Amino acid sequence: MPAELIALDHQYVLNFAGRCLARADGAARHDYGQYGDAGDSRSRACEGWRFPLIDSYRDAARPEIGARSNRVTFVYAHQGDARPPIAVIGTFATLFEPLPLEPVTFVGEPTAYVALSVLVPKGQVHRYKLLVDGVPVLDPVNPQRVTTADGEAWSRFFTELTTQPLVLSRRELLLLTRLTDHILPFRTTEGQRFLQYFYSGADRQAKDTQYARAYRLDQPVGVVNFIDKLLAREENHHAIDYRLCLAQIDAILSRRHPTIDVAAIPKESFIDLYGQLASGSIDGWDYASYREPQYFLKLLRRHTYTGAFSHPRHGGNVGAVAWAYLESTFRDDANASCFAWQRALEPPLGDNAAYVG
Amino acid sequence: MAEPTSFDVVIIGSGAGGAPIAHQLVLAGKNVLVLEKGPLLRTQDETADGRSDFRRDELLSTGAEKRITLDGVANRGAAYYSSHVEPDINDEPHVYRTASGDDKATIEGYTAQVVGGGTQLYGGVSYRFTERDFRLQSANAGRPLRDDPNGDVAREARDWPFTYADLEEFYVQAETLIGLNGQVAGQIKHFSKDSYQPPLRPNPISAHVEAGMDALGMTRYRTPLAVITRDHEPSGRRGPLPAAGPDTGETAKTAFVNRYGDPLGFKSSTYVALLRPILSRPNFALRPNCVVTHLECTGRTVSKVHYLDPSGTPRVAAGKVVVVACSAIESVRLLKLSAAADPAFDAAINQDGNGILGGYFLTHCFGGASALVDAPARYDKSLTLDSDWSSDHCATDEFLEANQLWAGAALYNNTSDRALPLALGRNYQSRDLDTVWDGFTGEARLTGEALVGFLGDHFGRGLSMTFMANQVPLKSNRIELHPTVKDKWGRAAAYIIKGWHPHDVAAMTTFAQVCRDVLWHGGVRKDLGAGGVYGNDDLARCANHVLGGARFGTDPRDSVLDGDCKAWGFDNLYVTDGSCMPTSGGGNPTLTIEANAFRVARQLKERI
Ligand SMILES: Cc1cc2nc3c(=O)[nH]c(=O)nc-3n(C[C@H](O)[C@H](O)[C@H](O)COP(=O)(O)OP(=O)(O)OC[C@H]3O[C@@H](n4cnc5c(N)ncnc54)[C@H](O)[C@@H]3O)c2cc1C
Repeated sequence: MPAELIALDHQYVLNFAGRCLARADGAARHDYGQYGDAGDSRSRACEGWRFPLIDSYRDAARPEIGARSNRVTFVYAHQGDARPPIAVIGTFATLFEPLPLEPVTFVGEPTAYVALSVLVPKGQVHRYKLLVDGVPVLDPVNPQRVTTADGEAWSRFFTELTTQPLVLSRRELLLLTRLTDHILPFRTTEGQRFLQYFYSGADRQAKDTQYARAYRLDQPVGVVNFIDKLLAREENHHAIDYRLCLAQIDAILSRRHPTIDVAAIPKESFIDLYGQLASGSIDGWDYASYREPQYFLKLLRRHTYTGAFSHPRHGGNVGAVAWAYLESTFRDDANASCFAWQRALEPPLGDNAAYVG
Repeated sequence: MAEPTSFDVVIIGSGAGGAPIAHQLVLAGKNVLVLEKGPLLRTQDETADGRSDFRRDELLSTGAEKRITLDGVANRGAAYYSSHVEPDINDEPHVYRTASGDDKATIEGYTAQVVGGGTQLYGGVSYRFTERDFRLQSANAGRPLRDDPNGDVAREARDWPFTYADLEEFYVQAETLIGLNGQVAGQIKHFSKDSYQPPLRPNPISAHVEAGMDALGMTRYRTPLAVITRDHEPSGRRGPLPAAGPDTGETAKTAFVNRYGDPLGFKSSTYVALLRPILSRPNFALRPNCVVTHLECTGRTVSKVHYLDPSGTPRVAAGKVVVVACSAIESVRLLKLSAAADPAFDAAINQDGNGILGGYFLTHCFGGASALVDAPARYDKSLTLDSDWSSDHCATDEFLEANQLWAGAALYNNTSDRALPLALGRNYQSRDLDTVWDGFTGEARLTGEALVGFLGDHFGRGLSMTFMANQVPLKSNRIELHPTVKDKWGRAAAYIIKGWHPHDVAAMTTFAQVCRDVLWHGGVRKDLGAGGVYGNDDLARCANHVLGGARFGTDPRDSVLDGDCKAWGFDNLYVTDGSCMPTSGGGNPTLTIEANAFRVARQLKERI
């Protein structure tokens, strides 16, 4: 499928390039251990995960396209004086037709940057490569990389509302669902009642697409999906914490319940485990492989809370379910709602007449 | 065609100190270049697809976790979370010295790096300083003061080189052109003109503050806020809907106010109020994403402004006049870097021959009280602006006399704090920008029912009072260049060295008690806590207010700038952000920075 190109906004590209890419020193200022190799070009970019830039898109003439798509902007920064032609090729378009990046200008003069904006549907994962003078290379700043079955490395991006797991395995997702359930308020009796009402309520139809995605993952509010995407991108450096700790948790639970499947392990067992993680003393924990289980718990608490209550565009809080929960649960002395979150936000999520998101 | 490099005025920084000058001089027909390090983030009505670069999204204000990787700082490895318009700590750190003598990297001391500077993110609380704030040396001569046995305060305080009365017309100009809502009645400052738009209805939670202040006999007034509630003719902005009736402008209310740029442009940043209206003029050039690295001088003239364009390529611009307005710490740093590169520059900027540049750095004595309203009361704090009620009670001569304090404070209640769910969690028990999330993640018991309980106690129930007071100026409180830590351009990082004078602690304790009393008498008593910011770990704390370091005065051996903000040792170098202040004022500083910049603009219009 050919990609739909959209007009490049030079100011928009420079706004990110100036902050994230422009620099004089080659120090690995942004490697918190996730790259390992000081020579890795990704460790030099600040917030390299922002690239390619994934943003919402709006087209007044075709509102449905805007609602369904993201603007994806590839940016490449030339090093030194050479300016070889740059193009991008990837699964978001036809794999045989390179799309050239165009020069980004400042005060009418070319800069070190070339860029290209394309429309990509939401909910999609793609791999791509840059072609430098026709030679395929990985994106030098994007931390996301994948290796295909044939052993070939690619750069990767995903658009908003992607639910395909990118980092966590099925089993890890399952374990994490149980753990995050325990942290969040939704497994309480009231919380359950609310979810029931929310997902089956009259509102359901209107936002059906979003809810359907949540159901598919069998996560009440999408928090585990949020974490998976965070580990794939912004907090890539924490993927290792999850891998190590979930493996240990899995082993411990299997030992405690040798005959039961994770999904069926009783709630109490997760409560016990949670308490032990909090105290730092867990029977069967291999401290040599992961020294501080409390650290993992803190991480998990921050990610869980953030996933539940952040804007749905980040992959959790499906259909704004957690905001609706706050709105319906916490009321004033006259039983009126105390969280008119829709008033601030863009339609169709919210109902602000002026703000478009 | 090569882009022009010569201008009447080159202004560095587009925030409160820079934009008023650009606005006035462009309207006067001068050729003006503004160089701004940060991006140009636009409102909805300015972009091709009608979407703003600012979003109502809590993860924009405090984003994903990053980790400090800098060598030579004691908090290497610590987590931090920056907003999309704050500089990245690893790329451009500020370093401060802790009480134990360690160096730590911090995000404190930055306002915001974006066209409009800190006024894009500010809460918009826009006080005038009091008449007394301009003459704290004379007002305290011979007075006994608490916890000041050596008479430091009287010795170190300086009167401003002009009075409140001199500045008053520029306050009016700033209030008119920026676009504020508020109320004159109840303020102790003299107003020759009321330029406020009408305030919106207070958030119902503020009734507690109203009651508390009334019970204590404190005169109160609606907090002046830089948010338009009606059409604003000077900047061509349409006001928030509805345009008429009892609800006029009410849709301006949102908890996405403090720490958020406004996609709709109702919040009066210097960008939407002053720069955007002149953007299309042929005699105005705004260059975002351009960082000025140093100034070069020839004799008493700053002859070249060296900057890096968005690619990091060096460029040069020249102006008959050069105005530095990078916010205090960064302005001092820029001048120090220029001095480090050239002894002649150094000698010209340090007329006292003893390193006055960077000395007398100031923030505010700030703090307050915070508590939870009791069940069953609860309020929708998401429909709000940043504050509703203020009082000058603690700025009156009687109060200061009775308490043996040298200078007063503005008191106001916060309404947008903890209004949004992520802010509620990440700011729980955090003291500042460097400790967000610590409280919530550390309290492992908050799960399931206990988390419901936590949310039930806090959501829509938190209420706080803030005081903002003068800090005693001390030369030992200063900005230096850090000896080893460098930014991504290889330039030395700013080094913040400061502490509190015992009189500051006395003042903070006193004002915090009044804040506490307001809440108590307003019936808000649950988890009531109060205090100032004077703990050992809190030395970096700036309340986002960075002032002083290049103060103006009447004596070249005691100040960096003359009364017109011109550097004593130069003919064409002006510094017009908060760094010019010799005392920090008893209130949030931005309106005064702007009024002073309008005052300087008047001089420059005649000069060029
Ligand atoms: C979250 C928050 C809330 C606040 N709330 C309030 C409030 O309610 N009331 C109030 O009065 N104040 C408030 N403030 C403070 C207010 O923002 C500042 O007082 C004000 O912006 C300072 O003005 P300035 O001109 O000194 O600096 P700024 O307005 O910050 O402008 C400085 C500009 O210079 C640019 N710059 C820096 N270095 C360079 C360089 N080398 N080259 C080019 N450009 C450079 C910066 O990017 C910035 O845009 C708040 C600040 C924050 C961050």
